[in-house]
Amino acid sequence: MLKGKVSLDVTQLDNFEYDMSKCIKCKGCTWVDHIYMPGVTFSTRCPSATKYLFDSYGAYGKMRIGLAMLEGRLDYSDELLKILYACTLCGACDVGCKRNLDLEIELTLEALRIKAVRDGKGPMPQHKKVAQNILTKHNRFGSPHQNRNKWLPAGIKPSPKAEVLYFVGCSASYTSPEIAQATVKILNASGTPFMLMPDEWCCGNVLYSVGMIDEARELARRNIEAVKKTGAKTLLLSCAEGYRMWKVDYPKLLNISTADLGFKVVHLVEYVDELIKKGTLKLANRVNLRLTYHDSCSLSRLSEPWVPWQGERGQWGMVSPTLERRRGTNGVYQPPRDILKAIPGVELVEMIRMRENAFCCGAGRGTKEAFPDFALWAAKHRLEEVKAVGAEAVVATCPWCKENFAQAVSQNGDKLKVFDISELILAAISG
Amino acid sequence: MAISKEAYKGLEAIVGAEYISADPVVCEGYRAGPGGYECGLGYERVMTKIPGCVIMPRTTEEVQKIVRLCNRYKVPFVPYSTGWYGPRSHCHVADELLVDLKRMNDFEIDEEHLYAVVGPGIIYSQLQEEAMRRGMYIVIGGGGAQVSAIANMIGDGWSPLSYRVGLPHRRILGTELVLPDGELVLMGSLAVQDDPFWGEGLGPDLRGLLRGFTGLRGCLGIVTKMAIKLLPFQPERLEPTGISPNTTLQLPTSRVKWINFTMPSKDAMRQAMFEMAKAEIGGGVTKVPIFWRAIAKARSKEEYWELWSQESEETISSFHLLRVLLIAFTSEEQMEYEEQVLTDIITEIGGEARRTRPSDESWFKNADSAGMWLMCGGYVSVDYVIETLEHAIPHGENYAKLKRNYTPPLMPDYGDPGWFQSFELGHQGYSEFLVYWDPDENSDGVDHFYLETSKENIRKRFYTSLLGPHQPLYLTGPAYGPNYHKWLLKVKDEFDPKFICHPPVPLAHDEFVERAEWMKPMKDWESPEIKPRP
Repeated sequence: MLKGKVSLDVTQLDNFEYDMSKCIKCKGCTWVDHIYMPGVTFSTRCPSATKYLFDSYGAYGKMRIGLAMLEGRLDYSDELLKILYACTLCGACDVGCKRNLDLEIELTLEALRIKAVRDGKGPMPQHKKVAQNILTKHNRFGSPHQNRNKWLPAGIKPSPKAEVLYFVGCSASYTSPEIAQATVKILNASGTPFMLMPDEWCCGNVLYSVGMIDEARELARRNIEAVKKTGAKTLLLSCAEGYRMWKVDYPKLLNISTADLGFKVVHLVEYVDELIKKGTLKLANRVNLRLTYHDSCSLSRLSEPWVPWQGERGQWGMVSPTLERRRGTNGVYQPPRDILKAIPGVELVEMIRMRENAFCCGAGRGTKEAFPDFALWAAKHRLEEVKAVGAEAVVATCPWCKENFAQAVSQNGDKLKVFDISELILAAISG
Repeated sequence: MAISKEAYKGLEAIVGAEYISADPVVCEGYRAGPGGYECGLGYERVMTKIPGCVIMPRTTEEVQKIVRLCNRYKVPFVPYSTGWYGPRSHCHVADELLVDLKRMNDFEIDEEHLYAVVGPGIIYSQLQEEAMRRGMYIVIGGGGAQVSAIANMIGDGWSPLSYRVGLPHRRILGTELVLPDGELVLMGSLAVQDDPFWGEGLGPDLRGLLRGFTGLRGCLGIVTKMAIKLLPFQPERLEPTGISPNTTLQLPTSRVKWINFTMPSKDAMRQAMFEMAKAEIGGGVTKVPIFWRAIAKARSKEEYWELWSQESEETISSFHLLRVLLIAFTSEEQMEYEEQVLTDIITEIGGEARRTRPSDESWFKNADSAGMWLMCGGYVSVDYVIETLEHAIPHGENYAKLKRNYTPPLMPDYGDPGWFQSFELGHQGYSEFLVYWDPDENSDGVDHFYLETSKENIRKRFYTSLLGPHQPLYLTGPAYGPNYHKWLLKVKDEFDPKFICHPPVPLAHDEFVERAEWMKPMKDWESPEIKPRP
């Protein structure tokens, strides 16, 4: 829709016709913000364009391809699906574009995947397997549902009723239990009563990310209802992908604002940062490490709250009523850094590409499942940067990042250590 | 597949299967428009095609082999570095090979002799950071930080900082060019030794082949390597700060400082530029279009229009903003001295300093050209003139007057006469006229205005920079030459007898007028003979 009624509804690709047709090929989506441009190395922030090189893999190519899809000028093919799905939907392109322009790149990319699914061409076969796991076993791995709470350490008892509800997520429940364990120990140490979902199901991040919007919406309704039934005021997550799903994509799916969810969605780092600043939690133990922090995309540039919008686009492309664009400015950038700086012995060195310019680890949004080699390539590329700043360890706030980095380190035979931030917080508070 | 299987196999053997594609989806990603510089206008719609095949060489040798193979199989080709320069840098004919040069991103820097050797895949912000880290700098042209340094050096490449350090072609040193037949030309000192430190070599200066005035848009071969002169800078770091979209370079104000002045008139601005030049002070100076201020202030397109709508003919005609950059190259005392001299000059002329942010968002490292699309979605600079300061002002005023006839579809700008500034310490004056339109409305009037500016230049004797590649060669050639169009085509014939390198440039705008029905009423000049193409 170039003029007239328009909304941010990702199920209708024509809502983004204007955005696709106004891409100017400045490639701000691919390059690091020029103000922060570090020179000839580590100068890009789009994994897909950096790996596959053809313009078609950058957002500028995808906008042109998307427009051709909308206008019926391109047929589906393996290459087209690869271009749509060999992309981490990490939001780097969106914030890069919105530094100068008002185009909705991330939403367009999501809408393209939704269209591919609705046209019966997407998602990728590997995604269908994951979707099947989620729909039948309520977790993305296809593991037995009854094992979901096996991670719970001895001696930690969740409350039957509490203001804080810890949503563990599939990764920390099944493959990265150390994150869930550290999280509940931190909550315990801070004297925060917390509860778990009576019957936790997958958040549906992969479903939404690959365009299976109907299934994702169904899960969103079910999960939100389940949280509401518990009476929780705060939903706490230790997974950045899950955090974005709850905070941004659930409201998007249900056409409501984040503020209307009925509870607050926080990531562990936001919660802990506040506890530290209030003096409720003390990080007293030394952790002697020179480490660097990796901004997980879904906690940082993709995490601004969602507000539905619909209106009209008129002359010069102006829209009314006022649309507050999500430009990544208010992502959760500082709290994890403040936490790490507060740990005695930690020497925090920043990577060359940080905050909104960070290079995605490559794991999220369906990438790892369908394009594992690309996902590992992205992680290895990011690890080069970790090494370039002389860090001994890399810290993330998402099990997806941690797992992908750990696998890359293992393949490389590197000596780098990979942590989730919960593990370091725990190390700093436990006796 | 658009090109023959045999040709494709040959190309694939040169670069490897990973770096070539004739897939229609991949090729669609290389479409020029509909958005971008000059895109959405008739030229883009009529004259551009998606490539038939895309290839990404890594080395000069690979480029030579590709070009030779194109000659053998009569495959037209176009060099492409970042694709920023709108339709003019994209395929114009069916089944064309697009040679994407982004993998050619080699970079070396010679700190002792102050130059960098770059491949076409290196962009300006990368080059600037590498230079500044070593106490040097370069001008990032108005094209923006995201452009290929080589493409911009052989094209335009100027900015307010050109006041101090001159025009880009003065900084082109040893250069490597693959001619349209695959032969390698080494220019400057590279012609005699493996050292690109100097721009001139034996015999005639062949850099004219690349650029003429503002370049020939890739129709005379492919530049694969260029040494670019860097200039000594002051020693303090310009510190990046802020989170997108509010990122900026914090200036060390004892060494680098922008100062904005309100001036009583355009003539006072011109006078200030002259006086600054006579005193040999300043690192940059410019009069900026007033709407750029609104862009800088606005947080969104809607906010821009809210701000801009408050302006009127009266406010625009009575507001004259001069922006001056001071750089203390040698010492903090230089800053004190230059600021004092500048204050004296401005006071004497009747100007007044305004509060100015101690930061740079626009010229040192970023060059926010992408922001030009915020307001309307369509943008092109229809003319750049480099003459004298006396000419620069009337040029802008003339265009502003002419523009009234084409507004709408052009954005209302209340008579703002564009951008003018001083180049090379006042020895030259620059005027650039930028236009904006809503690409989702009928833009025939913009096409008409674009062509009308060519005629206006002829009528008013403005020496435009866009003679060859952006205006009908057979309109401007006889008027400016009287035979430069014929001469230019002879050069093209000599180096590209098969007319295989980016056809139909330099006759592309002529062909556009022939093919676009709505342009025909304006056609009152001789038609060129269009040579058969491969």
